[in-house]
Amino acid sequence: MQHETLDVDVLIVGGGPAGLSAAIRMAQLQQQAGGEPLSVVVLEKAREAGAHMLSGAVLDTSALNELIPDFRERGAPLAAEVSRDDVYFLPQTSQLRFPLIPPPLRNHGNYIVSLQALVRWLSEQAENQGTDILTGFAGQHVLTDGDRVVGVRTGDRGVGRGGEPKSSFDAGVEIRAKVTIFCDGVRGNLTKELIRRFALGRGREPEQFAIGLKELWDVPRGGVTSGTVIHSMGYPLRHEEFGGGFVYGLPGGQISVGFVVGLDYKDPLFDPHMAFNRFKQHPLVAALLTGGQMLRYGAKALPEGGWNTVPRPYLDGALIAGDAGGFLNSMRLKGIHLAMRTGMLAAESAFEAIRAEDTSARGLAAYQEKIDRSAVRAELYPVRNVHQAFGFGLATGLAFAGFSMVTEGRWAPDVRGHAGHRRMQTLRRYYGGRPTSHIASNATAIDRQRTFDKLTNVHYSGTAHEEDQPVHLLVHSEVCSSICGPEYGHPCTRFCPADVYEIVEEAGRSRLQINASNCVHCKTCDIMDPYGVITWVPPEGGGGPQYGGM
Amino acid sequence: MILVLAEQRDGHLNRASWEAVAAAQRLAAGGPLSVAVLGGSVESACVELASAGVGDVLEVVDPALEAYTPDGYVAALAQVIEAAQPSAIVLAHTYQARDFAPALAARLNRPLVTDVVGITDTTEGRTFLRQMFHGKLVADVRPTGNGPFLITVQIGAFRADQMRTNSTQSKIVRTPVVIDRSAIRQTPEAPFREAKQAVDLGQATRIVAVGRGIKSLEQLPVAQALADALEAELAASRPICDNGWLPMERQVGSSGQTVAPKLYVALGISGAIQHLVGMKGSRTIVAINKDADAPIFEVADYGIVGDLFEITPALLEELKK
Amino acid sequence: MKIAVCLKQVPTREWQPRLLDDRRWIREQDVSYEMNEPDAYALEEGLRLREKHGGEVVVCSAGPTRVQQMLREALARGADRALHVEDDSLASTDAFVSAGALAAAMSDERFDLVLTGLQSDDQGHGQTGVVLAERLGIPHSTIVIEIQVQAGTDGSAGAGPGGAGPVAAIRVKRELEGGWFQWVAMPLPALVTIQSGINQLRYATLRGIMAAKKKEIRKISRPPGLEASQQILSLALPTRTKHTEMLSGSPPEVARELVRRLREEAKAL
Repeated sequence: MQHETLDVDVLIVGGGPAGLSAAIRMAQLQQQAGGEPLSVVVLEKAREAGAHMLSGAVLDTSALNELIPDFRERGAPLAAEVSRDDVYFLPQTSQLRFPLIPPPLRNHGNYIVSLQALVRWLSEQAENQGTDILTGFAGQHVLTDGDRVVGVRTGDRGVGRGGEPKSSFDAGVEIRAKVTIFCDGVRGNLTKELIRRFALGRGREPEQFAIGLKELWDVPRGGVTSGTVIHSMGYPLRHEEFGGGFVYGLPGGQISVGFVVGLDYKDPLFDPHMAFNRFKQHPLVAALLTGGQMLRYGAKALPEGGWNTVPRPYLDGALIAGDAGGFLNSMRLKGIHLAMRTGMLAAESAFEAIRAEDTSARGLAAYQEKIDRSAVRAELYPVRNVHQAFGFGLATGLAFAGFSMVTEGRWAPDVRGHAGHRRMQTLRRYYGGRPTSHIASNATAIDRQRTFDKLTNVHYSGTAHEEDQPVHLLVHSEVCSSICGPEYGHPCTRFCPADVYEIVEEAGRSRLQINASNCVHCKTCDIMDPYGVITWVPPEGGGGPQYGGM
Repeated sequence: MILVLAEQRDGHLNRASWEAVAAAQRLAAGGPLSVAVLGGSVESACVELASAGVGDVLEVVDPALEAYTPDGYVAALAQVIEAAQPSAIVLAHTYQARDFAPALAARLNRPLVTDVVGITDTTEGRTFLRQMFHGKLVADVRPTGNGPFLITVQIGAFRADQMRTNSTQSKIVRTPVVIDRSAIRQTPEAPFREAKQAVDLGQATRIVAVGRGIKSLEQLPVAQALADALEAELAASRPICDNGWLPMERQVGSSGQTVAPKLYVALGISGAIQHLVGMKGSRTIVAINKDADAPIFEVADYGIVGDLFEITPALLEELKK
Repeated sequence: MKIAVCLKQVPTREWQPRLLDDRRWIREQDVSYEMNEPDAYALEEGLRLREKHGGEVVVCSAGPTRVQQMLREALARGADRALHVEDDSLASTDAFVSAGALAAAMSDERFDLVLTGLQSDDQGHGQTGVVLAERLGIPHSTIVIEIQVQAGTDGSAGAGPGGAGPVAAIRVKRELEGGWFQWVAMPLPALVTIQSGINQLRYATLRGIMAAKKKEIRKISRPPGLEASQQILSLALPTRTKHTEMLSGSPPEVARELVRRLREEAKAL
């Protein structure tokens, strides 16, 4: 098949904070340096920039301040300045408030934001500078010439469920660039391909992830004043599970409530979404949500592994920035400013390499040096082992975190990490003999007022996809009907926060049914499946969640 | 005086015209009504209307009105309204009304509120309820000014059986109009029926929908039988269509059709919100499900907790009587 | 053929209603917008007619600044240029004002054919197209699922000089109740309102998006003297006034009870 081609200087894959910061930075460099203008294109799979963006979020404005110093005057949507920080430890139904806020969790000077609104604003800034943001285009394949990355091919559109072209068929386009900056997010499908093909993870610890679930609530008689940031540990997680909850107060009586769970839990019957429900049932949180209404729901994975798990972020013709490269500080629970900063540094490296006419790995290696000299390393290196230490349990993790904090990461031995999905134990091993049912071990009552079943929640994510298209979750489903049930009890039905995976008993066999159009693009299944047989690829461009206000 | 515009085709009165009369009576609150009928020859429709005794029947006939055209009807009605000077004009929200009422309103430069589902009396006068945003919201709307206005009423919103009739026959008044045939710009051909290629759930007045409770493809005939007995269309919740047991066009819900029939029977449907948003506007909802906690019961008018494979045959028996 | 397609930008299907404090309109913050679905089908129909008969497709919209994004998308799908009556007040106004604004922008262009969606997914009056036809002084037909263009006596498909009669005409298939249809012929210029789902919508291709950047969007301000025909006094979520009647008993008993109630109470049978 003939594919239309487009030749540009720089292709940025992903219109999130990393990609858009890269685009804005490129335009700035262009303006400063003058000369032949570089053509820059951003690909974004969502219908509009921001639609697939979800985060707590508390923003450290350091990177934004450097990128767009007059961000306030330009109307950057910073919902509320943090006025109050609270950290709680929740042992069962009671609560223990930390008298002192641990430094990483101090948010003085930071802002509570909606990442969707921030990204929408960033896209406007980028467009005003003349950058083309192509929304509704999903990157499907990395284009290479030998070992050199030369661009990306977007997915075909207008393909029917059985793979046949419909009358509206529009073949994917090949966008060829001198430098491609991959900002395709946590467990980005293209970055994953790069890591595999070019062994970018060699010499690094295995990547580690967590899943974050979040709801936006309207609570008119404000349980939480605007600007309040609450973080919690403990309930409903056990010592063997990593994670915690958050509640942020937004203006206008809105509340952002969410829960993060490490995707390295042992109990195969554990359900992260149920943990989120339980969190909302805790008296502390329940009181804050009283009289309110859930407006929106969403879920997304987070890269939790830290500095030692970041793959080599440069190769012939390509750079990796943002969550795709794992640039997130799991101690501070912040990644947006690091995504923005790495995006900016990637833009600078790309710009210099193109001007110097050397966009090989050697020409782009300056990116690593820039990262090493920047606030990115300064921030991530000292806490490089924290997530790995939690692998030994809550107490060890906290102790290690404290130690790292005090010593600023010096003298800390590098802790070996683990790929999270390998930690999931079989039913036999965890339960000593198989349980008779596969009901979630942490199931709780669903009242559809405060706690919700996944299907109801998914409705509030605004997720919609073209119905008549091939299923975008590639699963080697032989294991589903053979060994997975007895070994793990079909954990995909529990770790997916959107009810995509269902096991149907048909004629005495278990069959996997994939409800693809519920998918919120969180990537958890690609990460957590114990057999590693699920591959997420982007569905037809334009489809996915609509995370207004998230 | 409130003027009702009745609708006829081939001399037969459209039943929805009675609903317009009921709505007009509500609006008139005891005041006088007139009912206009347009066409080439509409005697039997006029007689039928007159026998209800609800008000003067204006027989507006002209060869130019034999076949319906918006130009012809607007020209005729502009004259009728000019002569009758009604305070309001009421018609049913039919396909025909949607074709000419806005043109009439624009010609007269008078407000038109369409698809009205309720009439509210306030100290400042009458306001009208109509749905907006795909049924997600209900709006309370007031026509501007104190002059005459037009409303079309949603089919089924005002019940024909709530119309007050009178034993005294009304007068039939021949109302002449002058129509310049050459000014009619539409040339219609005869309406025709087409073999249904596609399912249109949006037009169905009754729907029987199946969900997972139907268990297997082989059991579908149970639901089809009920649909046939009720003269209803068969529809389904998402999982049934995903399985390929029924085509996508029969899906009701956020990823399928939104429907609001007179009667919606949900068989073995749990009532996930994705389905509810597609049917909760239905006038009467009957839910049959094994699970007493199924969310479908929250929107149902009548609920039966039970086995649909036992209840449905019993219903079929009962309907035969 | 010079074809105009009128487009409206409405909240996406997935939008969860939130109202302003005075309940006179919706809270527009956090709302995502898209092209009104029936209008998208009207645009597709317009593009297909241009492919078949030549000419140009001009998209028109009356609304606030954000409407530009929708017009760009229409241009990316293949429309040639756009007219935008730009004013914030046009976001929440009624059909008389919308039609009046569009008529003012369109009247001196002398379009052969004007296409609109049959109604909008926001207020859904179903009037704008027909009122626009009246304001432009052209005939109309509504809820159309097919259009045939009939060439004029000189083989062209455009409005001829006055007095000699129409050079070309169209024949449109109207949808009626209950599976009935009707063909209606009209001279050009004419306006047609289009039913949803009549064709398969095309994507805005990459080439189309790039080309759209160079296409003209002409902005016009809201003409004076347009008055609304009606006001929204308040908006509300539909409340459930009905109560669920749970029926119990043996299958024959509940069946009998249900049928009785459906006949007598609900009058649904």
